[in-house]
Amino acid sequence: MAEQKIFGYADQFTVKEGERIRFYVNCDGSDTAEAQLVRLIHGDDNREDGPGYIEEEIAHPANGTWAVKKQFTQLGNFLEVADPDNRLKLDGSLSMMAFIWPSMPQKGARQTIMGRWDTRTNEGFALGINPEGYLQFWVGDGREVDYVTSEMPLLKHVWYAVGVSYDAASGTATLYQEAVLNRYNSLIGPAVPYDYASHVRTTLRFAQHNRADIPFLIAGARDNHVLRGDFVADLYAGKIDRPFLTETVMTRAQMDEVRKGGVPGRQGLVAYWDTAAGYSEAGISHDVAETGPWKLHTRGVNHPIRGMTGWNWNGKNDCFRLAPEEFGGIEFHPDAITDCAWEETRAIEIPQGLKSGAYAIRLRVGPGSGIAEEYIVFIVRPAQPKAKLAFLVPLASYLAYGNETLSFDAQIVQPMTGQPPIISDVEIETYEHREYGLSTYNHFEDGAGVCFSSFKRPLINMRPKFRNSWMGVPWQFPADLSIVAWIEHFGYECDFISDLDVHREGVEALKPYNCVMTGTHPEYVSEKMLDAQEDFVAQGGRLIYMGGNGYYWCVNFDPEENAVMEVRKLDSGMRAWAAKPGEHYLQTTGEKSGLWRNRGRAPQKLLGVGMISEGFETCEPFRRMPDSWHRTVSWITEGIDGELIGNEGLAYGGAAGVEIDRYDLSLGTPPHTKIIASSGGHTDNYVLSTEEILYAYAGMVGTLDYRIRADMIYYTSWNHGAVFSSGSIAFGQALPAKGFDGTASKLLRNVVDAFVKDGPLPGQQWTLEEKQWR
Amino acid sequence: MSKPILTQINWHNPLSPWGAKTTDIPTVAATDCSDVWDANTEYKAKTYKVGRLKHYVIWPNHGQRMWTRLRWWPTRRNLLHVKGLYNRKTLVAEKKILDRRPIYWAICLLLIAMGPMLFPASMYNTMLSAGTIFGIFAAINVCWTLILGAASIFSLASYAVVGVTAFVTTYASIQMGLPWFTLPILGGFLGLAMGGLIAIPALRLDGFYYALLTLGLNELCRVFFTTSKQFGSASGGLYGADSFLPASWSPEAQSLLSYYSALALLIAALFLFRFINGKRLGRILRMAPEKREAFAAACGVDYRKARVTIFIITSAALGFIGGFYATLYGGTAFSIFSFDTVLLGLAMVTIGGIGKAEGAILGTLVVTFLDKVLISWGPMRMFLIGIIMLGVVLFLNTGYFGIKKQFNAWRDKKRGEWRSMRTEKGGEALPEEATEEDDKDVLYFLRFDKMQRDYLKGLICPEIIEEHRRQPLGQHSAALERLLMYFRRAPMDDKYALHRNSATGKFKIIAFSGERGVSPRVVEDREYDSIGDGYHAIFMRRVHDLLES
Repeated sequence: MAEQKIFGYADQFTVKEGERIRFYVNCDGSDTAEAQLVRLIHGDDNREDGPGYIEEEIAHPANGTWAVKKQFTQLGNFLEVADPDNRLKLDGSLSMMAFIWPSMPQKGARQTIMGRWDTRTNEGFALGINPEGYLQFWVGDGREVDYVTSEMPLLKHVWYAVGVSYDAASGTATLYQEAVLNRYNSLIGPAVPYDYASHVRTTLRFAQHNRADIPFLIAGARDNHVLRGDFVADLYAGKIDRPFLTETVMTRAQMDEVRKGGVPGRQGLVAYWDTAAGYSEAGISHDVAETGPWKLHTRGVNHPIRGMTGWNWNGKNDCFRLAPEEFGGIEFHPDAITDCAWEETRAIEIPQGLKSGAYAIRLRVGPGSGIAEEYIVFIVRPAQPKAKLAFLVPLASYLAYGNETLSFDAQIVQPMTGQPPIISDVEIETYEHREYGLSTYNHFEDGAGVCFSSFKRPLINMRPKFRNSWMGVPWQFPADLSIVAWIEHFGYECDFISDLDVHREGVEALKPYNCVMTGTHPEYVSEKMLDAQEDFVAQGGRLIYMGGNGYYWCVNFDPEENAVMEVRKLDSGMRAWAAKPGEHYLQTTGEKSGLWRNRGRAPQKLLGVGMISEGFETCEPFRRMPDSWHRTVSWITEGIDGELIGNEGLAYGGAAGVEIDRYDLSLGTPPHTKIIASSGGHTDNYVLSTEEILYAYAGMVGTLDYRIRADMIYYTSWNHGAVFSSGSIAFGQALPAKGFDGTASKLLRNVVDAFVKDGPLPGQQWTLEEKQWR
Repeated sequence: MSKPILTQINWHNPLSPWGAKTTDIPTVAATDCSDVWDANTEYKAKTYKVGRLKHYVIWPNHGQRMWTRLRWWPTRRNLLHVKGLYNRKTLVAEKKILDRRPIYWAICLLLIAMGPMLFPASMYNTMLSAGTIFGIFAAINVCWTLILGAASIFSLASYAVVGVTAFVTTYASIQMGLPWFTLPILGGFLGLAMGGLIAIPALRLDGFYYALLTLGLNELCRVFFTTSKQFGSASGGLYGADSFLPASWSPEAQSLLSYYSALALLIAALFLFRFINGKRLGRILRMAPEKREAFAAACGVDYRKARVTIFIITSAALGFIGGFYATLYGGTAFSIFSFDTVLLGLAMVTIGGIGKAEGAILGTLVVTFLDKVLISWGPMRMFLIGIIMLGVVLFLNTGYFGIKKQFNAWRDKKRGEWRSMRTEKGGEALPEEATEEDDKDVLYFLRFDKMQRDYLKGLICPEIIEEHRRQPLGQHSAALERLLMYFRRAPMDDKYALHRNSATGKFKIIAFSGERGVSPRVVEDREYDSIGDGYHAIFMRRVHDLLES
């Protein structure tokens, strides 16, 4: 029997009472799995310092045995062309041309640029790159393949105009390969003495045979497997710009014309994908405009990246909104995945009256642990808001880290975290098989950064019990369950909503609540999320920012596919990759990505604090700052003995650490903000965040730079609104320590108890200028 | 570099005012890093200039010009296997002929075709008849080398097949008056039948035993035909078959026709070789070389069937050659079965290299030249053949045409030895090694890394190790911190990590592959109860690896 393993995902992240949620499960080694609906209460199984893992089994008709099966995943980007009338089934002469910027030409495997090709039966025609990295045009008659190959190999990250003219009457096929490199658009410049050109002609022995059911694909070709059925293989890595297909035999002069920027003539044109058409101020759709005679509907699979610099980009315009025609590049990655698109395993209905919270369908096969156990996590929202308190689940940040493999791939992780990683079997399993995709902390195989992440795939680190391998403690979702456990422990009535709900519904989603608490590391936020929270606070809402390094990256959820989040990393900030010049704007909104700080919305403006440092390997306590004795805020530390706060915790035994935030008036911290407590004594592994650095100089480390600290702040807003920020990721994980009776827990109780009450906040009368005797 | 004298100090933790517990513990002062750089200002090994002079013409690329590629009709093979490459030194686009053998074949076959024009007048007749014999024997040996090489069947019965078919077709021609053109065809069928019979034991026997069996078969044929009245036991052979040489032609014209018909036969044998060895059957068998059959079988290769198929097809071809032989010479002599014929044939096949068509032809050429042209040398020439064969067997792995590969392998071995003498383990790249690295940044990394390691090795002492054991994470003394930073920055391949399956499980040391998608390996079976022990065990391994380098 094969090794038993089970993975799954759901079609939604939040679901309301009475709604249905669908589950998709892939299982090896078993055709049944034991399913159980559970409410997740605490995610860290560390039983020495905390309560250990806690879940509550919920009675539900769906509990019991589910029929499961092996499911296959289509990896990779390509364009699907809907061609029901077989307009692209050219049986005679044809020409194809495209601008390409290959990113892995010497990959050692065949890559299809465009064509109508069946890899299994050797039928059709296609233009592509052969395993040795040479441009090739090939035809197949269902038995054999015949081809013509260019003379010089393609070089990576260089723009080329490539094409083929095939004359069916004489059987001659002529390849066209010319570089269109300019001073900006390619990796290397015009001073490098490469001769890129290649024009090769040969007489093919037979013509293509086209079967009616073979699809025309851009950046891939049809393949078939006996168990899996049809799928797409021979995927291309790199950019393609404005490909087209004609039924004429194009001459060299005609191709030269296109290479110089001309539009192919309408005569004989069968399809022209104007990849730069249809861009708007609000972004770019996944539909690619096909402006030929048949207007064939063409759509990207697994989110090919659009609006990338095209063959004619000349460095002046940095955004596709300014000069769409220079941004016709679509970037394809053979290892991209934004939707596993499995067959539905089961749909369940959320019963009325189910308490709002973090839930999961727990699936077990065989031994029922490790890779034989899966939790498909989702959030249950109340049908109507019920509580005064809401927990805002940061889905965007879970997605950003979804299935990251930094411990395996990133040389910088050990220096960053100051420790060797601790790997578990489930990570090894997914690292090996790779079919569940990557995080926005990964690079694709061709070296490009990953800018889309989706929840329509198993996310191994968005599970309870999972421990982040690079630092050995829970991170994101499982860490946030420490806050959930705290809410549960003290019996607060609390509604759970996700940032995706806020992104979709705006401030309306937050309005019903007096107090909203965030997760431990809400690093990724969209403009709509920020707007909603800012408006919420200004309208009298109270926000508790429970984390560190929050509201940092500018992201967006894809309006065409809500499961997918987009981010581009650039310019500054602690970043896993850097977007290429000219590719800094979100394709899904048209706005500039990168740090919110670089767009005039530093996190300090709403949260009072913003990212200053990360170090991971140790945590420290906070110590009260002098302002905490002021009667406007002294209620926050009421009942706490001594000045230390959070001298305990599940993340390295302290409430201040992992990633920490600082108060900074120069970045927009509200001027009346008070620092309640600050941490100190951070090690030299805590280094200054890169966006802080103008000149780099020695000593930007914990023991030498006073800025490296976590600030816990409080400020008030309009209509009794207020913001309390913990300024540290470890704060949330400090709550369950000492049986929820630690100083961090006490302090948070004071804040929440005050924040959920209607009416004015405590201490608001102590506002006169002090006349002091002491 | 001599190990620096370490100064014992008590480390005062800068975080002690914040309450750090680890402070004022014994450690060593971090010495000056620049000492290592001052001590390493040149290579310890002597350096030599490197580079290879461009001493032949390299085709440039076509660039903007159209390159019309011609093909071998009716295949999709281009005239020559040419590939454009960018010169690594200059980036100039150059064309490289990846397989120059078609050129050599064309030249050699042309030379053979022009032979009669080149032969010296004094030896014209001798050489012409030797040429004919060469053609026939080369054809036989090309077939034989298919059996020995491609099929890995050690059969010595090839000449027996040729002999039997030659005798039987001659007999049939005499008795039944069969015309000349039927003889090779009849021979082919006879060969096919014989091949089928001889192949049966090959399913069970191999190597030495099969060679013995086929040798016995050869001997059986010899005894049968020499003692058989029908086959001319009295006259030393059987003659009188219908010949294709027109009796009306002059002897010179007849000799010429013989010569070219033998050449045509050779070319036909070469095509057979190409179509078997270069196509599916040959490829299957290249997956299943001798002694690795089990592996190939496990991969789904039915190597026995492929071998027997080749054997039978080749036997049919040998039968055809037998028939051709009979019609060319009007019959055949018993000497075809004699042991020395088999031995000479073996010499021919071995000298050039078993399994290669060019090997069979070169071997045949050498042996035939010595045997048939240098007749005046007398028995000496047999010694010479023996010496050549001995030399080939002693010094060459796979005959004359294996020399290049063997030489390259030998040079690689010598280079390895030479480098291991010259380079330090983990040292920086020597000029000759630098030529093999495209990313010149790596060369500097190697230099820097060596300096770092030289420096850090000097810091390792019990105090540092004890300091780490006490507190693996957090602020450390300068000396330990430097060491840890180096360890953490190491590249991903074989970088250590811990493995643990749950929050309550034990720890094991693993090492990353550094290769995308390849799982880490388990370094040792030992399990550690606490994370601190795990971290320290990794530290000790890293210290050990550093001192080893």
